[in-house]
Amino acid sequence: MRLIIKRRELVSDPWRYPGESEGGGPAALPLAEFLEAVRRGSAPASGIGIWMVPTDEVEALAAQLHRVQLVIVHFPKDGEGRGFSQGRLLRERYRFTGELRAAGPIKRDYMYLLARCGFDAFDLHPGEDLQAAIGALATFSVAYQPGDETLVQPRHRPRLYGAESSNL
Amino acid sequence: MYQYDDIDRALVAERVAQFRDQTRRFLAGELSEDEFRPLRLRNGLYIQKHAPMLRVAIPYGMLNARQLRMLAHIARHYDRDYGHFTTRQNIQYNWPKLEQVPDILADLASVDMHAIQTSGNCIRNTTTDHLAGITPEELEDPRPYCEIIRQWSTVHPEFNYLPRKFKIAVTGAPLDRAASEVHDIGVHLVRDANGALGFEILVGGGLGRQPIIGECIRRFLPRDELLAYLEAILRVYNRHGRRDNIHKARIKVLVKALGHVEFARQVEAEFKASRAMAPRLNDAEINRVRRFFAPPAYESLAAADVVTGRSAAFQAWYRHNTHAHKVGGYRAVFLSLKAHGEAPGDASSAQLDAIAALAERHSFGLVRVTHNQNLVLADVRERDLEGLWGELTALNLATPNIGTLTDMICCPGLDFCSLANAGAIPVAKQIQAHFADFDYLYDLGPLEVKISGCMNACGHHHVGHIGILGVEKRGEEWYQITLGGSASGQVSLGEVIGPSVPQAAVASTIATILAVYVEQREAEQETFLQTVRRIGVEPFRERVYATDH
Repeated sequence: MRLIIKRRELVSDPWRYPGESEGGGPAALPLAEFLEAVRRGSAPASGIGIWMVPTDEVEALAAQLHRVQLVIVHFPKDGEGRGFSQGRLLRERYRFTGELRAAGPIKRDYMYLLARCGFDAFDLHPGEDLQAAIGALATFSVAYQPGDETLVQPRHRPRLYGAESSNL
Repeated sequence: MYQYDDIDRALVAERVAQFRDQTRRFLAGELSEDEFRPLRLRNGLYIQKHAPMLRVAIPYGMLNARQLRMLAHIARHYDRDYGHFTTRQNIQYNWPKLEQVPDILADLASVDMHAIQTSGNCIRNTTTDHLAGITPEELEDPRPYCEIIRQWSTVHPEFNYLPRKFKIAVTGAPLDRAASEVHDIGVHLVRDANGALGFEILVGGGLGRQPIIGECIRRFLPRDELLAYLEAILRVYNRHGRRDNIHKARIKVLVKALGHVEFARQVEAEFKASRAMAPRLNDAEINRVRRFFAPPAYESLAAADVVTGRSAAFQAWYRHNTHAHKVGGYRAVFLSLKAHGEAPGDASSAQLDAIAALAERHSFGLVRVTHNQNLVLADVRERDLEGLWGELTALNLATPNIGTLTDMICCPGLDFCSLANAGAIPVAKQIQAHFADFDYLYDLGPLEVKISGCMNACGHHHVGHIGILGVEKRGEEWYQITLGGSASGQVSLGEVIGPSVPQAAVASTIATILAVYVEQREAEQETFLQTVRRIGVEPFRERVYATDH
C-alpha cells in the first residue's frame, strides 16, 4: 500500500488507482467510467472514489458528488496547473466535502498552493521526504487571496474582500 | 508610493526562505534540473548563456531612493556593476551566482522588493503608464489598481501554473503609454454614462511569434468587480488554454480559436458562476491603497519661463527629455538610458546611486521605470531643471533623445540571452553611431525603433514604427525590418518590407528608409508613422531593394 499525506498525517492508502493490479482495497474510477456507470444505473449510491485527469471537467461530476467519497486529481507532470482549478471548483463551487487528493510526481513545493485550493490529501513524488512535505504546509503564514482554510489558515488583511459592512 | 505592511513583509520574507531551501536542495542534488526549473523561474531566475540571470520585480515601475540604492548595491556586490531595465519596467542582472541568489533576495526583501513571478508561466509584473498620476489628461491614477492586482496575483494559489506567462497592463489616460493592447489583459480606467469609475477590459493581445491586438470583452466593469472578473478570465484560460504546444499556449491563441465573442461569453458565464467564491473589492480596500498614491506635497509655484535665453543644449534637452505636469511649476524629467555607445536600458551602480540622491533632492525620493527602458523623475520643480540637467549631463543621463530614433527599445539579444538568434545591442550601437547628428534626429521627429534578437519579441519589434527582428541565416545574423507598428493611440502591427538584411547593413537600410520619409512627408509636421500609414510600405521597399537589381 502506498503512503500518503492525509490532512497532516502519514497514512496507508487502501485505494487502487486505474491501471494498478487487482487486490486489496476499492478501485478509484476514471471520471468517464463513473459517468457511464451512472448512465447505466449501475453506480453505487455512495463510497465512490473518482480519478480525474487534467482534461476532465468538474461540472460533469458536480451532480453526482453525493455518491463520492474521494476525488483524486492527477497531476501528470510539473507545471500542469489545471488541477488547481479542478480542486478549487470542487471545494468552493460544488461544496465537495470528501477527501480531495492531489496525486502525481509533484514535489512538496506545490503543497501549500494545493492546500489553499482545497486539497487535503497528497500522494507525492515517490522520492519526496513526506515529513518535510508536511512541514511545507507552513511555507506561508499570510495570503492576499481568499482560499481553503482546512489545512492552512494564513493571515489576511481583514477588510480586503466582501461587502464593507460584512464582518469578514 | 505603496508602503509594505507586516503582511507584505511576511510574504516576501517567507518566499525568500522558501527559495533558499529550494536552492539548497538543488545544489545538494535533492531536486533535479527539471524539478528546480519551474521553481527558480517563479523567482525570476533564468539560466542564460554565460550565467544565471535574475530579474527583479519593480511593481508598475515605481522605486524609492532606498530601493534604488539597493539595486546599485546588488549590481556592485553580486554582479558586474550594472543592471538592465526591461520593457516590463523591471531590472535584470546578467551575472549573479546561483548560490548567492538567496542572499540577493534577502537584500531585496530588506527594502520591500522581490523577484516573485518575474518569469515562469504565471502572472508577471503588472505594468502601467510611467506618467501615471501626473499627466494632465488622466482620468484617474491607475497605480492603486496595479497594486491591488499585484497583491491578488502574488502567490495566487490557483493561477501559478498557467499554460504560459501572463501579462497585465493598466492605464488611466486616453493615450496608452503602457502598450496595453498587446498584453494578455489590458485594463483601461473608464467612466460610464453616470460618471462612475470602472474598467474596460481587453484580452488576448500579445507579441511574440503571433502578434495580435487585444479585443475588448467588457466595455464597462464596475470597480469592485475587477478581481472577480480577472479570476474569471484566468480560470477560463487555466482550464482551456493549450498546454500541448508552448508556441500556442498564450491566451491570445485561445481567444483567437474561440473567437473573442465566444471567449467573452465563457468569461461572463464563469464570472456569474463564481460570484460566491470570487474576491470582491470593497471601497475600504480601494481607498486604503489609493491613499498611498495621493499627490505629494507640491509647492504652489508661480509659472516661470525657465527656457528663454538658456543654452541651445539645455533647450533641446528640455524639449525632448521633459514632459508637462498637471501641477503648475513642475515637470517630469526623463533620464535617458540610451546614451550613444551604451547598451539601451543599462545603468551602472554609480548612476543608480546618483539617481537616488537626485530623486531625494528633486522628486520626493521617487523614480519610475518606463517600458521604453528609461527612468523618470516625475515631480521636478521647473526652476531646478537647469541645475538638474547639468548633473544628469555629468552622469551621462541627459542624452536629449527621448522619443527620437535613438531612444530604442532593445532586448539583450545574442550577447546574453540563450533564446536569441541574433545580436540586438550591436545593432542598437550601430544605429546610434550612424545617427549621431541630433539636428537630423530632431528633424525626423517622433520615431520609435524597437529591436528584438528573436521572434519572442522581447524588444516589441512588431509595434515599432521601425521594427528590427534578428534572424539567423546559415550561421549569420540577419535582420528583418517592419514599418508602421505602434503600441499607442491607433495600435498597429508593423509590415515586413522584404527580405532580411545582413547586420552590417541595418543602419544604412534605416537611413534609406528615412530618406524616403523625408522626401515623401507632406509637411514638416507629418510624422514618420503618419507617412507610412498614408503611403504604405511599398515606396520604402522599392528604395531599399532597388540596388539589388
